[in-house]
Amino acid sequence: MNTEVHAHDHHDDHDDHGPAKGVGRWLFSTNHKDIGTMYLIFSLTMFFIGGAMAMVIRSELAIPGLQFVHPEFFNQMTTMHALIMVFGAVMPAFVGLANWMIPMMIGAPDMALPRMNNWSFWILPVAFGILLSTLLMPGGSPAGGWTMYPPLVLQTGDSFPFLIFSVHLMGISSIMGAINIIVTVINMRAPEMSLLKMPMFVWTWLITAYLLIAVMPVLAGAVTMLLTDQFFGTSFFLAAGGGDPVMFQHIFWFFGHPEVYIMILPAFGVVSEIIPTFSRKKLFGHDSMVYAASCIAFLSFIVWAHHMFTVGMPLTGQLFFMFATMLIAVPTGVKIFNWVATMWRGAMTFETPMLFSLAFVFLFTIGGFSGLMLAVAPADVQYHDTYFVVAHFHYVLVPGSVFAIMAGAYYWLPKWTGYMYNETLGKVHFWASTIFVNLTFFPMHFLGLAGMPRRIPDYSTQFADFNTVASIGAIGFGLSQLLFVWVLLTSKQGEKATDRVWEGSHGLEWTVPSPAPYHTFETPPKYRIADEAFE
Amino acid sequence: MTEAEQKKNIRRTTLIVAAIALAFYIGFIMIGVVRA
Repeated sequence: MNTEVHAHDHHDDHDDHGPAKGVGRWLFSTNHKDIGTMYLIFSLTMFFIGGAMAMVIRSELAIPGLQFVHPEFFNQMTTMHALIMVFGAVMPAFVGLANWMIPMMIGAPDMALPRMNNWSFWILPVAFGILLSTLLMPGGSPAGGWTMYPPLVLQTGDSFPFLIFSVHLMGISSIMGAINIIVTVINMRAPEMSLLKMPMFVWTWLITAYLLIAVMPVLAGAVTMLLTDQFFGTSFFLAAGGGDPVMFQHIFWFFGHPEVYIMILPAFGVVSEIIPTFSRKKLFGHDSMVYAASCIAFLSFIVWAHHMFTVGMPLTGQLFFMFATMLIAVPTGVKIFNWVATMWRGAMTFETPMLFSLAFVFLFTIGGFSGLMLAVAPADVQYHDTYFVVAHFHYVLVPGSVFAIMAGAYYWLPKWTGYMYNETLGKVHFWASTIFVNLTFFPMHFLGLAGMPRRIPDYSTQFADFNTVASIGAIGFGLSQLLFVWVLLTSKQGEKATDRVWEGSHGLEWTVPSPAPYHTFETPPKYRIADEAFE
Repeated sequence: MTEAEQKKNIRRTTLIVAAIALAFYIGFIMIGVVRA
C-alpha cells in the first residue's frame, strides 16, 4: 500500500496533556503507546523466563541419562515453557506492536476503547503471576502438557485451579485486546482510507483479531468444563461418567489450530511492511496478500483434527483433514511468492530488520514444509509425538514468529525512541540468532524421524549426538538474545532518527516525528494514494 | 462523521463482537452438555 499524507500533522505541541509522572503513568495509562511499551516489556520478560525453562530442558537432554532435574519437574518445565512462550511472549509481543503501530498506521488518535486497553494489559501480569506461583506449590506446577488433555491434566495437584484461572484470565485479556483492535480498525481509520488501502500489518491484525474472538472463548469453554469435571461432579471428559476425553481434544484443537495462525498472521504483516521498505518497491500483490491471509484464517477453522490423526477417526475424516491442511499451502505460497516478487529487481539493502525478515521467509518455509509432511495422515502415524513435530512447530514459532517480532522491533525502534540503534550489534544479534536457531532445531528433524519421542527427560543413546548439538545451539541462542537486550538498553546512544527513519518507508506512521509524540493524529490526517512515490 | 456518530458506531461494533465471543463460549459448552 502506497500512501502519503497531504499535510503533515505532527501534533507535537501537547505539553498540557503529556504523560503523567511516576508509576501512575503506567498503572493508569490509557495511551496506546504506553500500553504498547508495557506489552513489549512484559513479553520480553516472559521470553526470558520461558527461555530459562528451555535451558533447563535442553541441559537435561544434552546427554543421555538423568542429569539435573527430576522427571516430574522436567514435565513441569515443558508445560510451563509452552504456556509462557505462547500466551506470555509471542501473543503479547504482537499485541504490543499492534498497540504502538495500528493507530499511527490508520491515522487514529488512540485505540477506540483506551480504558479497556489498560485492563487487557494489566490482567496479563496477574494471570502469569498466578501461573508462575504454581512452581512454588506442593506438587509443583502443571505437568500434563500445554494441551491440558484429560484425564492426565485432572491428576494435577493443587496447581490445577490456578492453571484454569490463569488460562481464563489470559483468554479475557486476549478477547478484550481483539475487540479493541477490531473496533479501532473498523471505526477510526483516516477518512479516505478504505479497507483495501490499509497497510498489511493492520490487515493481518484485523484478521487475527477475528480469529481471537472466535477461538479464545472456545479454549475458555474447554477449561471451564475441565474445572467442573474436577470440582463440580460433571463428566464432560470423564469416560467413567459417560464423558468423552477425545471430545476435549476436538474442542482444544478447534482453538489450537487457529491459535497457530494467531501467532503467525501478524508476523506476515510485519514482514510485509519491512520487505517493501528495504527493497524500495511497493508490496507486490497487496490485495492478493489480503485475500490469502483471509483464506488462511478461514482454512484454519477446518483443519483441527490433523493434530489427532492417531486417536482414530473414519477414513473420510482423515482424508478431509489431510487435504484441507494441504490446501493451506496454496495461500501461504501466494504470500511467499509475493514477498520474493517484491524483492525481485528491488534496490535491496540489508539492515537488521530486513535480515530478520529474509531469514523469516526462508526458515518459516522450512517449518511450513515439515507441516505439509505432518499433514499426510499415514505418515503422521510415524511422526506423531516425536521430535519431528517439535522441530516443525519450533521452526514456525522461533525463526517464524519470534524473528518477525525482532524484525518489527528493530524496524520501529527508531520511531519509538527517536534514535537509531547500533546496526553492527543488530547484525551480530541476527547472525548469532540465525546460526544457533538452526543448530538447535534442525537436528530435531532427524531425531524425530529416528523415533525419539517428545516430552521425555531421558532417551536411548542412539539419539545422543543430535541432542548434544541441539543443546549447544539452544544455549547459544539464549545467550544471543542478551545482545538484543543490550541493543535496547543502548538504543538512545545512537544518531537522531529522522521522521521517515528509512529511505524506503511509506505510510502515515512515518509522517510523525521520531520519537512519536505522546499524542498523534488528534485531527484525522488527509490522505491520498501516491503510487508514483515508488516509481 | 460527527464524534457522536463515531461513538455510537464504536459502541455498536463493541457489542456485536463481544456477543460473538460470548456465543462461542456458551456454544461450545452447550456442545459439551449435549454430548456428555
